[in-house]
Amino acid sequence: MARTYTPSLPIWCAGCGHFGVLNALRSAVRDLRIPLHEVALLAGIGCSGTIQNYLGTYGYHALHGRVVPTAIGVALADPRLTVVAAGGDGDGYAIGAGHLIHAFRRNVSLTYVCMNNETYGLTKGQSSPSGFLAGDEGSFDGPLAGLAIRGSTFIARGYTGRPEQLARLMRAALEHSRERRGFAFLEVISPCVTYADTYPDWEHTLYDVDADAAYSSGDRALAFSTALRLAEDRRLPIGLLYRAAEHAADASAPAVPASSGAPTPDLVARYEELLGRYAVRSSSGAGAAR
Amino acid sequence: MTPPIRDITIVAAGQGGDGSVTLVSALGELFAGRGYHVYEAREVASRVKGGVAAASLRASVDPKRCLGDATDLLVAFDAAALEQNASALAPHAYVVYDSSEGPAPRGRIPATASVIEAPLSRLAVRDLRRDLYKNSVALGLAARLLGAPDALTEETLTTHLGKLSEQLRAANVRALRAGFAYADEAGLTAGSASWSLDRIEAEERVLMTGNEAIAFGFLAAGGRFFAGYPITPASEILEWLAERLPSFGGVVVQAEDELAAVNMTMGAALTGTRAMTASSGPGIALMQEGVGHAASAEIGIVIVDCQRAGPSTGMPTKPEQSDIGMLISGGNGDIPRIVLAPGDPREAFELTVLACDLADRYQGPVYVASDQALSQNATTIRPPDVRGISPDRGKLLREVDLRDAAEFRRYSLNGYGDGVSPWTAFGTPGGQHLVTGNERDEWGLVTTAPAMRTRMTEKRMRKLETVRDSLPRAVVSGDPKAEIALVGSGLETGVMREAAERLAASGVATKVVQIRTLWPILEDVLEALDGCRAYVVEHNATGQYAAALSAAGAAARVHSILRYDGLPFRPSELVAAVEEKEFA
Repeated sequence: MARTYTPSLPIWCAGCGHFGVLNALRSAVRDLRIPLHEVALLAGIGCSGTIQNYLGTYGYHALHGRVVPTAIGVALADPRLTVVAAGGDGDGYAIGAGHLIHAFRRNVSLTYVCMNNETYGLTKGQSSPSGFLAGDEGSFDGPLAGLAIRGSTFIARGYTGRPEQLARLMRAALEHSRERRGFAFLEVISPCVTYADTYPDWEHTLYDVDADAAYSSGDRALAFSTALRLAEDRRLPIGLLYRAAEHAADASAPAVPASSGAPTPDLVARYEELLGRYAVRSSSGAGAAR
Repeated sequence: MTPPIRDITIVAAGQGGDGSVTLVSALGELFAGRGYHVYEAREVASRVKGGVAAASLRASVDPKRCLGDATDLLVAFDAAALEQNASALAPHAYVVYDSSEGPAPRGRIPATASVIEAPLSRLAVRDLRRDLYKNSVALGLAARLLGAPDALTEETLTTHLGKLSEQLRAANVRALRAGFAYADEAGLTAGSASWSLDRIEAEERVLMTGNEAIAFGFLAAGGRFFAGYPITPASEILEWLAERLPSFGGVVVQAEDELAAVNMTMGAALTGTRAMTASSGPGIALMQEGVGHAASAEIGIVIVDCQRAGPSTGMPTKPEQSDIGMLISGGNGDIPRIVLAPGDPREAFELTVLACDLADRYQGPVYVASDQALSQNATTIRPPDVRGISPDRGKLLREVDLRDAAEFRRYSLNGYGDGVSPWTAFGTPGGQHLVTGNERDEWGLVTTAPAMRTRMTEKRMRKLETVRDSLPRAVVSGDPKAEIALVGSGLETGVMREAAERLAASGVATKVVQIRTLWPILEDVLEALDGCRAYVVEHNATGQYAAALSAAGAAARVHSILRYDGLPFRPSELVAAVEEKEFA
């Protein structure tokens, strides 16, 4: 076997939440025994946008905001792959927000991890659309947006301060997409210790629905109302917020063979049949059908 | 015995929804079935119904690929349509006018022309209770004028409406017969207009638009992933593929915008699936970042630009070539790119197939530059060859290739003087790699090391040289020793040839240099222009291709003939433009 690239060491600051995301992803891939060559890990732009370099999988560094549509292209073209897209809140909730809405709507089987630190870390601390802790009433809530689209099938929020739960959620997300049940969305609260060290604040802000016996993750309306009610108290739910009860596999994608080599005689016959529909037929009178 | 038609231009015009397009395409089939070359054009407003809509047809013994100078036969469904099209009438033209609302306004009709007033709408309503059928009534009259036997016209119409229900087809045939009956009353027997249909021995032909040919070419090249966003005049590519690609195991996505479309296309290409997107100017502008990314990250994709009048939203239904500047130099950074430009639907098919191979072989973006006229007008062509297509995936490595290799560096520099590194499709065991638009080392890890940056930049640019010999050469026709050359691409192709023939006939030797690779500019173009005054014909206001040609070394010879009013050149207009420059 050919030697290929050696995964590099993370560039992140010591204590960065993103290490927690990487660990959760690494253990999910390991626990599910997915060969590294079957994993396509695509990342956006920002500190989070280096995660693809660290595992030894196929890795892709997307344009800013475009990791989700690129991942959709990968997943539709080769459904045998385990496709994981990752990026920050700037990438997913600002410049790429338009794509996120349509990803919920399309429900293509892949996992999207939004590493939310509520700041622009790489460009040194500008404000983000997801300023929940900062008290921004208008802050963008990815899971809530996903719940509002009836076609969404998997919505969860984890927190790097709770690594065991995060590992569980990451694994559930990968399973959801690998079982072809659709688009698995996992937001991870992943604080930036340099520009927005919010670890102390999150502990009393987060509410763990996984620990709530009265909560049901199969109930979209409950998930929505829970999130809204908690927000009134300046709290945010974490855990498996919603997973569609039905195990309907998405029918969106047949396996597309990598197209190469000469076409088979059968294929050529089909092309010729198609071409025949444009043929100009000499009269008696009949002409080309278009 | 009336001599048979050799070259005729027919126009049908009315409000959008009057059926002008159906009428003209039925006449097109009538001619094509008799061995004529046909060229069909539409002129519509960017709205669903209403606005004056016209459809044009040129039928000729020799291939023309453009409309004639003047209209020989006009069918006008109302006064506005007549007035708008009257000035283009030939002196001895025939006009069929729907007189349901009153007689034809004759002010602008040449005195020598013949006007047949027929209450087309009233006849349709009287016999079939629907105004809708008036175009089939008109077909009856027009076919009589053209000297077509009634049975032939009826058979053609029935075939043409093959997709309609039995009932609707029957109603249209009744409308056609009402047209014949009216012609009988008016004394219009076949041939009374001194036209007659020839029967020409012709090779096998197909009738298709540029967009159909591009979509078909992509399919036949093994293309199996397409993402696009609806836009005039590119939408037919999306629609054609959406209808057919899934049955070939492919995927078509109607993306949320063009940013998504180009990025989805790149994602699909990473898996080794041949992938394409298509749009028009505004959408291509949105895709510029993505195209640059494909060039930097070395991802082979095909991007079709069906150019329309710009800037901004411009005139969506009108042809232009004003994206040339963007196609050859748009985007941030130094971007290697290939821009192909077909001149007719057959070339559109062939160059799309070639574009797919080139994208794989040099691992970067390949544009196919079309325009509204080429994309949406239908032409008879020799059938493209769907048998001999064998995709060339370039240096795509399989699992078996990797098994014996010591190492695999995605962006390898060593040992590849052509700049092209081997690649693997995502999912290939042992071929894991990192793809990025940041500058990177051979493994795909991000770097800003000056020496590596320099080598990677040179590697990317060198790839263009590697495929240069495979890029389509210009098609040079006419007198090779001529001192005048007409240079152009796309919708100028047919009209340049006809203008050159006329110039030659009037003693001005002229050659035609039809450009098929807009970028890079190939040596053969400069050679063909050597010693010539080159009139670069293009549909834009700033001479975008002429500027590129000048920069490539042809500056002393280049003169521009430009048009940007949304209309294609007619042959006489192009001849006049050349004569004005030559003899001014």
